[in-house]
Amino acid sequence: MSLATVKKRKFPLTPYLFILPHLIFFAVFVGYPFFSGLYISFFQYDYLRPEATTFIGLQNYLGLFKAGSVKFIEFWNSVRVTVTFVIWSVPFLVLIPLGLATLLNGKAPGLKFFRAVYFAPWVLSVAVISLIWWWIFQSQGGLLNYYLDLWGLETPRWLSTMPYAMVTIVIATVWWTMGYNMIIFLAALQDIPTELYEAAEMDGANAWQRFTRITLPMLQPVFVFIVIITIIASFNLLGQPLMMTRGAPAQPTGGGATEPVMLRIFNEGFVRPFQGSAAAMSVIVALIMMAFSFFNFRIFRRSE
Amino acid sequence: MGQMVDAFNAEHPDIQVTMTSQGEYYTQLATAAAADTLPDVAIVHADQVATQAFRNILRPIDDLVAEMGLSGDDYPAPVWAAGEVAGHRYSIPLDIHPMTMFYNADLLSAAGFDAAPMTGEEFEAVAASVTSGDNKGFDITGGFPVQQIFQQMLHQFGGSEFNAEGTEATWNSEAGVQALQWMKDVQSKYSEPNLEVDAELNAFKTGTVGMVWNGIWQTTNVTGEGVEFNGQATAVPQIGPNMAVWAGSHQFTLPAHGTIDPCKDAAAAVFIKYMAENSVTWAQAGQIPASNSVRESAEFLAIEPQASIAPSVEFAIFPPSVPGITDAFGPLGEAVGAIMNGTATDIKATLDDAATRANEILEQNRSTYGDAPQAP
Repeated sequence: MSLATVKKRKFPLTPYLFILPHLIFFAVFVGYPFFSGLYISFFQYDYLRPEATTFIGLQNYLGLFKAGSVKFIEFWNSVRVTVTFVIWSVPFLVLIPLGLATLLNGKAPGLKFFRAVYFAPWVLSVAVISLIWWWIFQSQGGLLNYYLDLWGLETPRWLSTMPYAMVTIVIATVWWTMGYNMIIFLAALQDIPTELYEAAEMDGANAWQRFTRITLPMLQPVFVFIVIITIIASFNLLGQPLMMTRGAPAQPTGGGATEPVMLRIFNEGFVRPFQGSAAAMSVIVALIMMAFSFFNFRIFRRSE
Repeated sequence: MGQMVDAFNAEHPDIQVTMTSQGEYYTQLATAAAADTLPDVAIVHADQVATQAFRNILRPIDDLVAEMGLSGDDYPAPVWAAGEVAGHRYSIPLDIHPMTMFYNADLLSAAGFDAAPMTGEEFEAVAASVTSGDNKGFDITGGFPVQQIFQQMLHQFGGSEFNAEGTEATWNSEAGVQALQWMKDVQSKYSEPNLEVDAELNAFKTGTVGMVWNGIWQTTNVTGEGVEFNGQATAVPQIGPNMAVWAGSHQFTLPAHGTIDPCKDAAAAVFIKYMAENSVTWAQAGQIPASNSVRESAEFLAIEPQASIAPSVEFAIFPPSVPGITDAFGPLGEAVGAIMNGTATDIKATLDDAATRANEILEQNRSTYGDAPQAP
């Protein structure tokens, strides 16, 4: 055995020491809960009643796929609600911030002010923004219907009829979180070398051509990143419907038309004593989110 | 409540009580139970006593109640029964908070009525007279508490949500169809359609609505200083052949602990007894004391509108004392909400469907909770 191979086999401690602080927190707050959740999903589990905790294999998962059962109806209804929300909200949450960032990416006086204005809602808590929009949309003297009425327009029941209830949640969410995506787009825009634009301008490219041929391709990696984090954030929808519509309107077949899957999981595990089944729901939702992210990567990689 | 606790502390130098209140209450209780940091005394809603008992959060207090000299004789039977789980006593009622009728006395007198309606005919007459132009006779929401209104009407028409054992949903009875049909009819005749949660209260507060039904806890919000007209609160009318009033109840309980300190239990008994006996202070905050003797006291009868609402709590209804019963109300809430919001029109079929789902939930509850709490 030569000296060189001994050296090679030696465990390189230094890099692991560097990541150790983060690794500890990651293991405690992400790693352990993840595996614990996976483990719990194979049990009939209630942390307050250890005597009732029994291993039931895949029963929790099978229960969610048993067509016609209450768990099946409520769970897949809430998944449908959340996916609908993702589909309705993500395009706006990507395109509006992109447009804003493009408009605000310059050195003209006053732009900094507008950047702050568009970013401002993001610092508010979900309770605050939900209340603000509840007051705007509510049917008895709410701001929006007051003005619609004034102009002789129709005044829908925004919070208690479909599709308006979902529309209100999308509007509130877009207003709330667009500033965050805008800031990331802005940072990316400012990283694009100005020479590219100067060269294109000399070659006679107009503004639209400069945007589609330079800005968009240069933003590609950030664009993919934003789409993915926005999809994940939208999947975690909970507070806005909880406070604005309380899941309303109720559906005769079970579940609420704006009851998101995160609320269903919370109710299953904390309001009702079925943490095992709630954990199984979480795993399924995580798989759905991973599938979304995977296809997202695939689509954008192909277009590259 | 804080005022009552302060008064208690002042009178009992050897016992000191610190009060805390929590949002997401039952989740907080559950996590506190897991960490064995539950308080020595906790107030729990009547319909939650059985669930919390079976989740090992509460412990039976039969002996303590006997020592305190309290018995069901001093309480309306249903509210006392709500504290008995699997043959053991788990709670002592503090108050009853019933469904209450709020009415705009100015609108009613303009329509020629100087008193609130007490019967179905009077109710229809008032609602019909007040409904004109932009004014509505009776606003009914499609959100909370429309399910509770249905429960009340169901009992008024002679039905019940569950069988006595709490093993089967029975709201899809003839009485259930009548109750929901009545609600749908008054909605189409006297109410704005598709009102969201609290919208009926907000509409009432603008002064354009004759009557609304909501919990007694809305009294300060929609009467007296809360509104710019003569807003009044009174007992809900009897519409069906029987009188029944939906109600909740706050009940004192002793949470479970790893080790029980008999000294603290004795102090808790003194505290609970004091609070129940002095619940007239609690009445001033807008609740109806559960104790018959307190409700009959001159001191309580001087508090309005609580005193005029109080007779209705004799007819208060409570669900069977079985664990997870509130979960089984989920499908009912959806069915009633769907009918009232117009997303379903076939009342019988919708109630049937909800009952089927509730039965499945009751079955799940039975299989997970078993027959009796495993209490420590």
